[in-house]
Amino acid sequence: MKANNIHRGSIVSIIVACLLSISTLALADPTLEQMSTDAKQWVMPGGNYSVTRFSKLNQITSANAKNLQVAWTMSTGTLRGHEGQPVVIGNMMYFESAYPNYVFAVDLDDVGRMVWKFEPPKNPDAPPVACCDVVNRGVAYADGKVIASILDGHIYALDAKTGKVIWSAVNADPLKGQTVTAAPLVVKDKVIIGVSGGEFGVLGYLSAFDLNTGKLVWRAYSAGPDEGMLFDPQKTINGNLQKPVGKDSSVSTWQGDEWKLGGGTTWGWYSYDPKLDLLYYGTGNPGSWNPTQRPGDNRWSMSIIARNPDTGVAAWAFQMTPHDGWDYDGVNENIIVDLNVKGKTVPCIVHFDRNGYCWVLDRRNGKLVAVHKYDPTVNWAKSIDPETGKPEVDPSKMTKAGVNVKNICPAAEGDKDEQPASYDPITRLFYVPTNHICMDYQAFDVKYKAGFPFVGAILNMYAASPDVRGRFIAFDAITGDTRWAINDRFQDWSGVLTTAGGVAFYGTLDGWFRAVDLKSGKILYQFKCPSGIIGNPITYMHKGKQYVAVLTGVGGWAAIGLAAGLTKGSEGLGAVGLTASLGDYTNLGGTLMVFAVR
Amino acid sequence: MRHLRLINCFVLSFALGLISINGIAWAATLKVCADPDYMPYSDKAGEGFENKIAELVAKSLNSQLAYDWASYRGNGGFSEFLSRTLDAGKCDVVIGIPYGSQEELTTDPYYASSYVFIFKKGRGYDVENMDSAILRKVKLGFEEGTPPQDGLKIRDLIFDAEAFHVGDDAGISPGSMLEAVQNGRIDVMITWEPAIGYFLKNYSDLRVVRVPNTRAMGSPEQYMFSIAMGVRKNDEPLCAKLNRVIAAHKAEIRDILDRFNVRLYPAATDNP
Repeated sequence: MKANNIHRGSIVSIIVACLLSISTLALADPTLEQMSTDAKQWVMPGGNYSVTRFSKLNQITSANAKNLQVAWTMSTGTLRGHEGQPVVIGNMMYFESAYPNYVFAVDLDDVGRMVWKFEPPKNPDAPPVACCDVVNRGVAYADGKVIASILDGHIYALDAKTGKVIWSAVNADPLKGQTVTAAPLVVKDKVIIGVSGGEFGVLGYLSAFDLNTGKLVWRAYSAGPDEGMLFDPQKTINGNLQKPVGKDSSVSTWQGDEWKLGGGTTWGWYSYDPKLDLLYYGTGNPGSWNPTQRPGDNRWSMSIIARNPDTGVAAWAFQMTPHDGWDYDGVNENIIVDLNVKGKTVPCIVHFDRNGYCWVLDRRNGKLVAVHKYDPTVNWAKSIDPETGKPEVDPSKMTKAGVNVKNICPAAEGDKDEQPASYDPITRLFYVPTNHICMDYQAFDVKYKAGFPFVGAILNMYAASPDVRGRFIAFDAITGDTRWAINDRFQDWSGVLTTAGGVAFYGTLDGWFRAVDLKSGKILYQFKCPSGIIGNPITYMHKGKQYVAVLTGVGGWAAIGLAAGLTKGSEGLGAVGLTASLGDYTNLGGTLMVFAVR
Repeated sequence: MRHLRLINCFVLSFALGLISINGIAWAATLKVCADPDYMPYSDKAGEGFENKIAELVAKSLNSQLAYDWASYRGNGGFSEFLSRTLDAGKCDVVIGIPYGSQEELTTDPYYASSYVFIFKKGRGYDVENMDSAILRKVKLGFEEGTPPQDGLKIRDLIFDAEAFHVGDDAGISPGSMLEAVQNGRIDVMITWEPAIGYFLKNYSDLRVVRVPNTRAMGSPEQYMFSIAMGVRKNDEPLCAKLNRVIAAHKAEIRDILDRFNVRLYPAATDNP
């Protein structure tokens, strides 16, 4: 609200001033950023551009959470993994299911009725090349449009009132092994969306489409020549070394033309700092699982990259796992937080990586501020250089051709995969859904596709501690302390929500939705949902009451065996043996669950 | 005491008799899990070369042959097939699995073959290996998820090549790969020779050239593989039995493979 001159003692002036303010507000539609400060709504996938997934709502408290109950539910009409979350704009809720990617609009004033339902055309080429179940991570909303990404690469802008298609664009081609599972992020007039397919040799990229027309504005590749990557050799900073990246900073780290199938896919979460005008995201594994086929650091796979959202040009890039031998995709969310570091306030991003380390970087220039393990069993690296972030790899944990390397921690699923953490500015702690798993990995093994022999990787993942494959933790990113942990039988593959009422919410892979006391880690309430939970809880107000909503519907990489009906370990990239008993605890089935205190 | 010794002998012979009766009962059936519809490997009528080899093995072991039929190409592929049949105890042996596979216990290999280039003789292509210049100029075909795909990828030849899905789709015959070359859709097909050797008799126009193992691009590329039989990981005794059969019947196995035009190349132990 603009400051108006108010003459003391002049009631008329005050009234005029107020009227002017009101009319100013009415003329200018709130921006998405402004809307994200309204805790009654949940207007973008991560709640806000900082992806803290924290809500100021405090009607639900640690005192009354025990009285939570189910308020209403709705089937999504699909099986397979639901890894996203709804958005709530005013009285409307929008959400997307797993493939075949139905998009629903529900009027919260009348939850028995779907205002509209969008069913995109089914493309049977897409599911076979989706490595880790046919998941979807949610819709975006902006300017009266619901933006939905579809597994086969289509991006639709739908009229929020009617569900009619305003425009569609294409961001992936399944015939090339490319799919889209990520939730888009709308920044100013751009729809930001990445691509999946690292296992199929897809060279990753991040795209920006025009919000109004759907035209492609820019596309930045994750590896290759500077022009395709939108890297400026003099201006783009190498965050590890704190100097310009220089010419060919990517190509020089691959052999020959291998960068063309260099992976670095971009299917995780995107965050944005409006003041610095920088977009943050991470890149995935470098193509082939067999590291001997791609000597070199393989930049810029496994990196956090900051880009200008209007032009796509990179401000800086920081690589976490050079020459990856373990599939520690760097795509996890980068939470934007200003942190107190040795008495000074530093604008940071905090990234809980697959590789088991929590990376804290200065978000202006990608300089490493702090790095700590967030699971005690991490052993692939002996240490991380506190200046450059360069890992000192334990040579006995490096994967090798023909050798079954045992007991590497974390396993390829990482100590945390895409499931997003939350930051509570009141406790100043991060609440993190983690995996607690290790693996045996043989990089070069002869295999058989019916009638055709070949070589590939085999992978067996297992619990790091007896019967504990997941831990929900409260973590201090600066000191590396874990304040408390809830140990779970299966990986904690849902996202986390924290609230000013002192309550954190998360779900377990076998379907328990929980409210947890943020300070103590005590479970205040839990409910066994129809299916395992890999979605992310959100919260909103409707008619004066606070609700918490989450999508249940097990699947994703952690439960791929269950999702695809497989029984053999080492199928589905190693996940099946790990979660083999999950089928004793849950079945497939997508349902939206909404809770409130009675 | 003589009568006691007689009784002991009687008891012993009776017991031995019982054991031998039971012994014959145990070895009476060789249970093989195989695909009911995947020529040239196997089908329900027993026409595939895996069926012929299974018959030879059963005869050699003085056993009846019994099949548990399941597709190699169902949901979850060959791994899932193994899980639901061999690992589940529905059978005791699979006839074809790469030697050295970690998924089961493999016998000694009973043949070695190779991925091959297939093209029309009349074209006169000069094809020797994955680096042959002609490959950069013509339309290539390959089976999805096999070593030629990796080889094409690292040579930047993947983008215009066409992927086939014979190993994924139970309805497709490997013969379709030859048909694609014959009708001109594909100029050079790169595929596993044993999968298509049987169908070559219908295509006299086509030439077959082996793809050699190589390190030309830096990383090891393996195109030649040895094939063995597979048993459950703890079934050492059956594995040993099968090894003896393989050793004793080398010539007959070669004859069967020859009838199916499975070309034998030097074993994959010839490492580059």
